[in-house]
Amino acid sequence: MRIQKDLKMADVIHMNHHLLHVINRFGIQLGFGDNTVEEVCRNYNVNLDFFLEIVNTYHDPTYFPLGDLQKFPASMLIRYLQKTHQFYLEVKIPEIEVAIQNLIDNVAFEADHLHLLKDFFNNYKNELTDHINKEEQRVYPYALALEHQLANEGHLLEEGLVKANYSIHDYEEDHDDVESKLFDLKNIIIKYLPSPLESVRFNSILHELFELEKDLNNHGHIEDLILIPIVERMESEVAHRIAK
Amino acid sequence: MKQLRILLIEESFIVREGVKTLLSLLGRPYSMEECEALSMGLSRLLSRIEPNIVIVNPILLKDYSVYPRKINNKAVFFVGLCDDSVDKQLSGRFDFVLSIKDDKVSLLQQLEKILEKANFGSNHQESNTLSERETSVLKCVALGLTNNEIGEKLFISTHTVMTHRKNITRKLGIKTVSGLTVYAILNKLIKVEELQITVNKEDE
Ligand SMILES: [Fe+2]
Ligand SMILES: [Fe+2]
Repeated sequence: MRIQKDLKMADVIHMNHHLLHVINRFGIQLGFGDNTVEEVCRNYNVNLDFFLEIVNTYHDPTYFPLGDLQKFPASMLIRYLQKTHQFYLEVKIPEIEVAIQNLIDNVAFEADHLHLLKDFFNNYKNELTDHINKEEQRVYPYALALEHQLANEGHLLEEGLVKANYSIHDYEEDHDDVESKLFDLKNIIIKYLPSPLESVRFNSILHELFELEKDLNNHGHIEDLILIPIVERMESEVAHRIAK
Repeated sequence: MKQLRILLIEESFIVREGVKTLLSLLGRPYSMEECEALSMGLSRLLSRIEPNIVIVNPILLKDYSVYPRKINNKAVFFVGLCDDSVDKQLSGRFDFVLSIKDDKVSLLQQLEKILEKANFGSNHQESNTLSERETSVLKCVALGLTNNEIGEKLFISTHTVMTHRKNITRKLGIKTVSGLTVYAILNKLIKVEELQITVNKEDE
């Protein structure tokens, strides 16, 4: 079901509690009372349309935006994406690391196997960190510079941007998916680890992995389907102005 | 139970969604590809997707007088999605006919029968266990060898290596090199010590 502005925010969370993460990223706190989505957004100074698009793409992976997503400023989108990165690196990854360490410390299970998982996840963490750093150091600043340039009409940045010899196309090309390894890790635990005595202990880590995978999926979607088109449009706008 | 591959070719979004809903209610394992139209030729589409069952609107196949009954030596069943306007001659070419005006229960019964038949027909299909060749390819992949190196070592073409890798990934449900490495160690196909010698090459 599509999430609309007149729904009560509390009902939205009852419907899909995974959205709590998303709401956090907008700085929205619990205690909604009977306020609608629209009212809560107003109270927290959050752009309602943007909020709805993000929440809906998260809620339903097949959701197809009917409105014009490109109307949102890149900076608004990037603020959200950065919050999401922060959540991965500062919350989710450490949580999973703790869960793995807990297994190692408490489970009478072949330690070799668990260390294998630990190394695997460690590798994954480095890969994800690289991916995020590249975006935060290269892609996002580029998008923000374009936005700045267009807002200021000036010719100041123009040359810098042209000289940078970078275009969002490069990003589009090698924006690799960071979910595959997580998928593998899940499957290894579910299908291929020798049966542990207490499977229950693996539940929390599996939950975490499922959740992170889903979140990353959505995040990548937003980058590919919303951020890239916005930047492409700005690029052609800038090129157009330079030509004039 | 084997997982059937179903190809759905139908213009109407509503009809496609309806067929998918019915199939999902059966609770049998299958994977689904859908097309709105036959943009490439029928045989090309079939050999690319290799379905066990093709559910198709007969109108879209009106230019074909015969449908292939086998793709790469595997049986394929044709199910026509018909309404009253489809003439007998056309619908006669199908293995099964589903009348889109039938009620839910009878549609479900017919689909169940079709899946049962197709499942039986594909019984000789491969299971999810790796073949000997696939196992040796897997070992090499897990040790970090490139496709070229694997080809040279096993005396097969790079293309064949890639086909094996695709099959390995599909059968095991593991996509990345590091995932396959963990699998290989867990199943004692390789030893951790062997891994250290072949300097840890990263994915791709
Ligand atoms: Fe990102
Ligand atoms: Fe990304």
